[in-house]
Amino acid sequence: MLLEVRDLHVEFRTRDGVARAVNGVSYGVDAGETLAVLGESGSGKSVTAQAIMGILDSPPGRITGGEILFQGRDLLKLKEEQRRRVRGAEMAMIFQDALSALNPVLPVGDQLGEMFVVHRGMSRKDARTKAVELMDRVRIPGAAARVRDYPHQFSGGMRQRIMIAMALALEPALIIADEPTTALDVTVQAQVMDLLAELQRELTMGLVLITHDLGVVADVADRIAVMYAGRIVESAPVHDLYKAPAHPYTRGLLDSIPRLDHKGRELYAIKGLPPSLMDIPPGCAFHPRCTAARDLCRTDVPPLHEVPGERGSACHFWKECLHG
Amino acid sequence: MPEPQHLEPPPYVPGGTPELGPADAEVLRTGPGGRGPGGTGPGGTGAGGPDPTGGPSAVPSAAPEERVRSLWSDAWHDLRRNPVFLVSALVILFLVLIALWPQLIAPGNPLDCDLAKAQQGSGPGHPFGFNGQGCDVYTRTVHGARTSVTVGVCATLGVAVLGSVLGGLAGFFGGVWDAILSRVTDVFFAIPVVLGGLVLLSVVTSSTVWPVIGFMVLLGWPQISRIARGSVITARQNDYVQAARALGASPMRILLRHIAPNAIAPVIVVATIALGTYIALEATLSYLGVGLKPPSVSWGIDISAASPYIRNAPHALLWPSGALAVTVLAFIMLGDAVRDALDPKLR
Repeated sequence: MLLEVRDLHVEFRTRDGVARAVNGVSYGVDAGETLAVLGESGSGKSVTAQAIMGILDSPPGRITGGEILFQGRDLLKLKEEQRRRVRGAEMAMIFQDALSALNPVLPVGDQLGEMFVVHRGMSRKDARTKAVELMDRVRIPGAAARVRDYPHQFSGGMRQRIMIAMALALEPALIIADEPTTALDVTVQAQVMDLLAELQRELTMGLVLITHDLGVVADVADRIAVMYAGRIVESAPVHDLYKAPAHPYTRGLLDSIPRLDHKGRELYAIKGLPPSLMDIPPGCAFHPRCTAARDLCRTDVPPLHEVPGERGSACHFWKECLHG
Repeated sequence: MPEPQHLEPPPYVPGGTPELGPADAEVLRTGPGGRGPGGTGPGGTGAGGPDPTGGPSAVPSAAPEERVRSLWSDAWHDLRRNPVFLVSALVILFLVLIALWPQLIAPGNPLDCDLAKAQQGSGPGHPFGFNGQGCDVYTRTVHGARTSVTVGVCATLGVAVLGSVLGGLAGFFGGVWDAILSRVTDVFFAIPVVLGGLVLLSVVTSSTVWPVIGFMVLLGWPQISRIARGSVITARQNDYVQAARALGASPMRILLRHIAPNAIAPVIVVATIALGTYIALEATLSYLGVGLKPPSVSWGIDISAASPYIRNAPHALLWPSGALAVTVLAFIMLGDAVRDALDPKLR
């Protein structure tokens, strides 16, 4: 396994109390595989990614438990300087909003080339040549002429391509894409997603795709991990999950997708709000919003039950959910 | 690393552009058009093909007009059209010229005095008249610019460098050092400038400008360090800083390459305005007798020397005071104009 997160716990100490953002997340990605991490805002999906990359803001953030195994090494045991060498070279991250993730005062070529200067010690001139190659590779028209342009001179889609080029620069083994298409137009979303998937196949990278868009997931992911209140509530191969969810939360998410054959009917929505991370309900965190909740759910935290077909569900009653 | 040519043309790009959305078509319009040697990669060849979305006529004309725009080039663009900037810049340019070569317009010696002519009004060859010691006021006013500009520029440079380094490091690393630095700045803020100058400079015997400059740097850096600290903290929270971390840049590299260029603008603005006040402060200290001392030539000394005779010989007071006022005003106006140009919210 390329990346394996085991029982990761992250908390944020704030003035108002301790927010437990990640409570025992475990997932893994193989080389060439795409894992989609799905969840609402505040479900801990981005925090997990930041912990893997080692760019968690600490303080206030703190990793309180677990392991992050990357190519067999536990990243959490590495020294900061060693981790810095891993970042960018062996694992890279694509951010949601490319406009704010690119430095406004530096030409994009310099930012792309920085990867080679930092990790490979290249001269600035060679780095610029590399930058043009990268821009060509993510199909930015007229790359050689645009390498001196500033981020704001590019359109949203082109900027996201530059972000992708930056992440791919050193051909890392793992890419974490944190909602890479959320800030883009729907038409551009598909192109960027296709490009990312294509480059991933070509370089057989592992891809962790963080998203809240079920439509994006269906096309590109191999497996899905659904997160709720800092835990994985369900994990499954993508088509099995769409066909038959084994957790009421996943079922609720799938039911809230607008469908053409439901035209005119009211759109389903999961009732209530996600819990505050400072005050996660006892038992199953989802029970206050769950239509099938029983007494057991209010007292006992459900473990991630094994479900046939390499699946897992953190629901006491996953059998009922799976079959009807 | 494989060359980009290894890429298969994507299945959905038959002619290059038709698959692009409206946002990307806009890029195509200004971007390629065979500009430079860019037509080699897959993107380049595609863009060179038929262009139904971008409007072929726009392609050749847009390219040469495209100016590289950055915060600094935009600011320069604004400044060149701002009359306040032009006037103040001209005044400052003139000041710098006469500070470097006062003989250009005042060939006389400022220390060449003739008591017989004391307090005489303006006459041929001596447009500003004579002061209480019979020295030529015009020559002394022109030669006084050198000390004022030297003190202003050196004090500002010292303050800006010291303040932004300390403030920037405190803002970037935070924690204990930040807390200590913040308290130290509070202490320095609590020292009244004139009182501090009277106490500290009265024990100095040197008659050069350096003790005065040192004193200004000592009391001035907290102002810049506060601004630099706040500015760095704001810039540090930007996504591109986190992105740079995620790509493995070292803390120093992040600070120098990603944060500093985005945090320097407020420091430049405050430093420019402060330059004017340092010139005024030098005059104040010299007036009080703790700044520069004769035989140095300075507006402050002249103002101080002329003030007892304001009724008999007002011209000896007015010319150096006027020069001081114009100089301070010019720097403050320049600072204002620079602030307006560098503030993207006003654009």
